[in-house]
Amino acid sequence: MRIGGAILVLWAAATATFFAVRLIPGDPAQAFLGGPGSQASAEALARVRAENGFDLPLWQQYLDYLGRLLRGELGTSYSLHAPVSEVVGEQLAGTLELALWSLVIAWVIALGLALWSVAGGPVAARIAAGIEMTAAVLPHFWLGSVLILLFATGLGWLPAIATPDARGIILPALTLAIPLAGFLAQLLREALQDAAAQPFVLTARARGESHASVFARHTLRHAAGPAIGLTGWAFGSLMSGAVVVETIFARPGLGRTLVSAVQVRDVPLVIGLTLVAAAAYLVVSVLSDLAERALNPALRIRTEAGAGA
Amino acid sequence: MNTHRRLLGFAVPALLLGSALALSACSAVAPTEPVSTDKTLVYASGDAEPTCLDPHVGGNYPQSLLAAQFLEQLVSENKDGEFTPWLAKSWTTSPDGLTWTFTLADNVKFSDGTPLDAAAVVRNIEHVQDPETKSSTGYLALAKVSKATATDAHTVTLNLSQPDSALLESLSQPWLAIESPAGLARSQDENCQAPIGTGAFVVDSWKRQDSVTLSRNPHYTTGKGEPALAKITWRFIPDSATRIAALRSGDVQMIDNAQPDTIAASAASDEIKHLDAPRPGSVNRIEFNSSRGPLADERVREALVRGVDVNAGIKTLFFGTATRSYSPLSSVEKLGFSEPKLFDTDVNAAKKLLDEAGWVPGTDGIREKDGQKLSLKFPVSTNQSIPAEQSLFEQIQEQAKGLGIAITITPLDLSSWYEALGKNDYDLVSAPYTKVGPDVLRILYHSAGITPAPSGYFANHAQVNLPALDDLLTRAAETGDQTERASLYEQAQKTILEGYYILPLYDQQNHFLYSGKLTGVGEVNSVGNPLLRGVSFAG
Repeated sequence: MRIGGAILVLWAAATATFFAVRLIPGDPAQAFLGGPGSQASAEALARVRAENGFDLPLWQQYLDYLGRLLRGELGTSYSLHAPVSEVVGEQLAGTLELALWSLVIAWVIALGLALWSVAGGPVAARIAAGIEMTAAVLPHFWLGSVLILLFATGLGWLPAIATPDARGIILPALTLAIPLAGFLAQLLREALQDAAAQPFVLTARARGESHASVFARHTLRHAAGPAIGLTGWAFGSLMSGAVVVETIFARPGLGRTLVSAVQVRDVPLVIGLTLVAAAAYLVVSVLSDLAERALNPALRIRTEAGAGA
Repeated sequence: MNTHRRLLGFAVPALLLGSALALSACSAVAPTEPVSTDKTLVYASGDAEPTCLDPHVGGNYPQSLLAAQFLEQLVSENKDGEFTPWLAKSWTTSPDGLTWTFTLADNVKFSDGTPLDAAAVVRNIEHVQDPETKSSTGYLALAKVSKATATDAHTVTLNLSQPDSALLESLSQPWLAIESPAGLARSQDENCQAPIGTGAFVVDSWKRQDSVTLSRNPHYTTGKGEPALAKITWRFIPDSATRIAALRSGDVQMIDNAQPDTIAASAASDEIKHLDAPRPGSVNRIEFNSSRGPLADERVREALVRGVDVNAGIKTLFFGTATRSYSPLSSVEKLGFSEPKLFDTDVNAAKKLLDEAGWVPGTDGIREKDGQKLSLKFPVSTNQSIPAEQSLFEQIQEQAKGLGIAITITPLDLSSWYEALGKNDYDLVSAPYTKVGPDVLRILYHSAGITPAPSGYFANHAQVNLPALDDLLTRAAETGDQTERASLYEQAQKTILEGYYILPLYDQQNHFLYSGKLTGVGEVNSVGNPLLRGVSFAG
């Protein structure tokens, strides 16, 4: 069932991308021969059209394209003159690394903020809510520039651009993490307040468990569920944020490659990158779904009962 | 008048360049201060990452910036516009101008160890002329070369179909650099990854979407001594704010595509220095499409030129980093001709011209004629026009409104922009064109440039179609007499300026900022690419 859904999502992504890239202005044959302004000869253009089937009707191109995808062929990038699978392979690690670090940092900030707001009373809760709201709406390009000005140009603590050592990832990861942390913290805080009022928390306290133990084993566990469930979504938003952040910080990765691929109308590369991003998103959302289930007994029971009926 | 402007326009860059060249010569011949020879320079380029590092393939400016570090040409151009030996030590021309003979420098080796000989040069010319190479810039530059022959091991003969007064200018461009035949024998994809040349550095590796790594060529013989830098990391940093931040924080030591505000902000400090290397060929200008609509009437073109004042805008928007031009040619072109008085602003005269042309103000202030509004389309390529230039266009739009002319500016990506041009759906346009020498005028203003190539590309955007001008440009391109050549190009430029086909703005801006810790920066090739072979870290 879940696999069927995943295939459906991938097919939809492939189809949407196939038709969307045709809306980018310009002639694909010309893009193939060095882009607009190239002085490609009529013969060269005709040969490229025939070789790549650009002269076929759209539905036939679409079917050919789906057929190639089914065989696992992503084609060759026009602009990089390399197999798309190879380019994606080269660029995937950078984006995954960035997304994972951002996720970790976002969770640390969100947890800290939520715990402080719950433990610190109504004033802390109000301040935390303000911080969360502000952080959640900060645009990546603005935040990235401010962090560079502050920590790279101003204080000189961190490099402004990606470097071979680990320090280079701190600013880009923070840029992605801060808005996400604002969002996660909001969700966590509300869930924590909600969980604290649940009967099972009272029961546990009545059993004589300590305050801290109740918080860690019951309240937080209950509250973290929805936020973890949203990690799949969060990962998707990080992938789209990577487009901006990788460009600002000059980091290699899927996002930056996508920007240049769209600019030069590199259709196979745009499609390949989109599909890989969709697949990564699917994998993470399945994982986060499973994690949420593991944390929340109610979800397990409901599904099992549903499956049994 | 020409000389006068030339002096003014040249004084500052020439002084800068001169002193920098003197510095580089000093450090190479007799170092006055110790230089480190194990250092890596990190260069941050704002240009698009090339899709191929071999400048024979395609042939654009970003490719040339990088190739200038590892490839070399047959001839070089000094700052007086004279051609000097490089891979060729001497050359002669036959009296009819149809046969050129080049004698190659002795004992030059490619970085793969193979010798530079006549056969290698012939192979390179054939490579550029082979349609499979898909060369565009280099291919056009060799259009008149019908045959290349290795007369002996060190002599190359070029046979021409017509005399070409621009041949040396063409051969000085990085798009016609000489590569190792062994490198060219590989597949194109392989050669694109790491072309092999005779330059000061060699390509080590290319990490896509990140950087190209170059290292010192230990067998380098064609410059003044061994390069001081051990390595160059050539990074691609598209965001201009990140580029300058990385330079200020010391992560990189040199950046290109420096924006006017950051150049002005850096002028006050010693930590960051500025290199201004205007590109040769055409100036940045607005071209008026004379083939259609209101601008087919010379009076309307003149009204537009005289009714707007661009000087104030250039001064404020470019923070004094760009000098107003009144010529079709770049200030580095010796044969450039200026006529500033044509461009004196006179709003009343402009309005009178429009009245005479039959365009009368309508109820909304926009002029009309035969029920047609005086409205003009101005597609702007956001890839080619920097933000300051786009603001300048908006100021022009505002001033034109005061004359009763409605200009619609449409910002477009490169593909859509070429498409608008290909469909002849524009009245105003601004497009850069880099080429060494005044022959660029033939490409941009000869009527042959109106017919689009199969790809839709054409260069004569003003669509100037004057048989007399065609004749001047053709004769200038063929004459072997330097005085006649200069006179023909002057007449051609007068025709273009006095016909109000263009509104010249400023040189094609090519600004670099670099760390004050570097010495020896300033040497540039004929197209304005900095050469890093004489650069070192001080102390």
